[in-house]
Amino acid sequence: MIYCNSCAKLYIAMTHLIAIKGSKDGLRLQLDEAAVWRDVVAALRGQFEQGAQFFNGAKVLVDVGERALGQDDLTELIELMQLHNIAAESIASTSRESRNAARAAGVVARPLARPAAADDRSDDLFLRRTLRSGQILRHSGSLTLIGDINAGGEVIVGGSVVVWGRLRGTVHAGAFGDRAATVGALELAPTQLRIADLIARQLEGGGRQPEVAAVDRDQIRVIAWETLRKERGQS
Amino acid sequence: MSRVITITSGKGGVGKTTTTANLGTALAMRGAKVAVMDADIGLRNLDVVMGLENRIVYDLVDVIEGRCRLRQALIKDKRFPDLSLLPAAQTRDKDAVNADDMIELTNQMRVEFDYVLVDSPAGIESGFRNAIAGADEVLIVTTPEVSAVRDADRIIGLVEAFEKGHPRLVLNRIRPRMVNRGEMMSIDDVLQILAIDLIGVVPDDEAIITSTNQGEVAVLDPRSRAGAAFKDLSRRVMGEKVAFPPLDDGQHGLLDRLLGMFGGRR
Repeated sequence: MIYCNSCAKLYIAMTHLIAIKGSKDGLRLQLDEAAVWRDVVAALRGQFEQGAQFFNGAKVLVDVGERALGQDDLTELIELMQLHNIAAESIASTSRESRNAARAAGVVARPLARPAAADDRSDDLFLRRTLRSGQILRHSGSLTLIGDINAGGEVIVGGSVVVWGRLRGTVHAGAFGDRAATVGALELAPTQLRIADLIARQLEGGGRQPEVAAVDRDQIRVIAWETLRKERGQS
Repeated sequence: MSRVITITSGKGGVGKTTTTANLGTALAMRGAKVAVMDADIGLRNLDVVMGLENRIVYDLVDVIEGRCRLRQALIKDKRFPDLSLLPAAQTRDKDAVNADDMIELTNQMRVEFDYVLVDSPAGIESGFRNAIAGADEVLIVTTPEVSAVRDADRIIGLVEAFEKGHPRLVLNRIRPRMVNRGEMMSIDDVLQILAIDLIGVVPDDEAIITSTNQGEVAVLDPRSRAGAAFKDLSRRVMGEKVAFPPLDDGQHGLLDRLLGMFGGRR
């Protein structure tokens, strides 16, 4: 789901324990229902630390599947999330015990409704709208947006971003640490642009032509789409 | 079918109250039954701008808390019997009312009026939320300044989230000469950012400061350029198609219009 150059091995190791699904309705954290709980928590801790910027301030639905979580286990989970400034929007489970534990901890409990066949779908999001000042879009995969990201609007994604419009807000691509992520826009004039752990404030290039931002030797660089196209043609 | 229209902006001082007073008066001049309501509780202004301050007996909070009937609190304008003002309370604050109160109050006013204009307080807190609670439509007022446009953008996002339909834009205090010199954002610059429909453009007019201070609205002055723009706005609110008079030479070319069509709204 999230392709990560720098930590592919680590990621695959935890893939079967944790999955993060994003949509415009919010984030869904899916936890393996059969594995040893201690391993799941360890994997989560790793994922939260690695994707700290992605998760900071997020609200997630936690899907524990058929697992019957006791009070103590659930408290541990919620405390781990709070430590990383993540709020549990709700706990979803088929198990009554898990749901009761959630309610006792003051968290909304939902009977599990797994989106049909979502697992095999691409985790990329396509939207047609204006993202306005004060609006935040968080998504685990890549984003294609037809419309503008206005100054004051914010996009945080695990993958890459393409904006068919003006990008004037703040964008964080590769928020789990993927430096191979790119950000392209017809008019690339962000307030702030981040890729993985790197930050660019003043971008070279004027935003007068379609441009793409990518990481090159530990720095975010901006290349005109026209130039990129020619280079690709030659190689 | 009566319409409840809230006039809001996010940023303060961009002309919400002036727009409400002038639009209300212009609609009444065209024969509509109009009420203007000041929802800025604790900081009332609309009565001053309309020159009705000295006639206030009861206010909006008195109606909501049942100390008087709606009819007792409404102040009829001297010049237009079809124009009434519901003033805000000056000694209370925004917590004196909630969204349900406002919905009930505006519904009560629908019975008697064709148009109910609600003058919203600045900001994005409960006062703003109360002001749009009963609205069918929302007009956003902004000036061509970066900070005002930024706040308007934020407000548009909130209005859309409250499912009040697509708000429409009143661009206030534009100075054609500064726009031509490239020192001020043009109409197109603002529309490109906000991506909503334009319903009014009001030129900057110093005369409005004196008229506001004297409680005389600009639409009553036949020589006022701002007044003429507010009259155009009232006709558009009533559903007429009124062209925007040219402010400067570089207006809406074919390419701009094509781009406008393509630049999608939700």
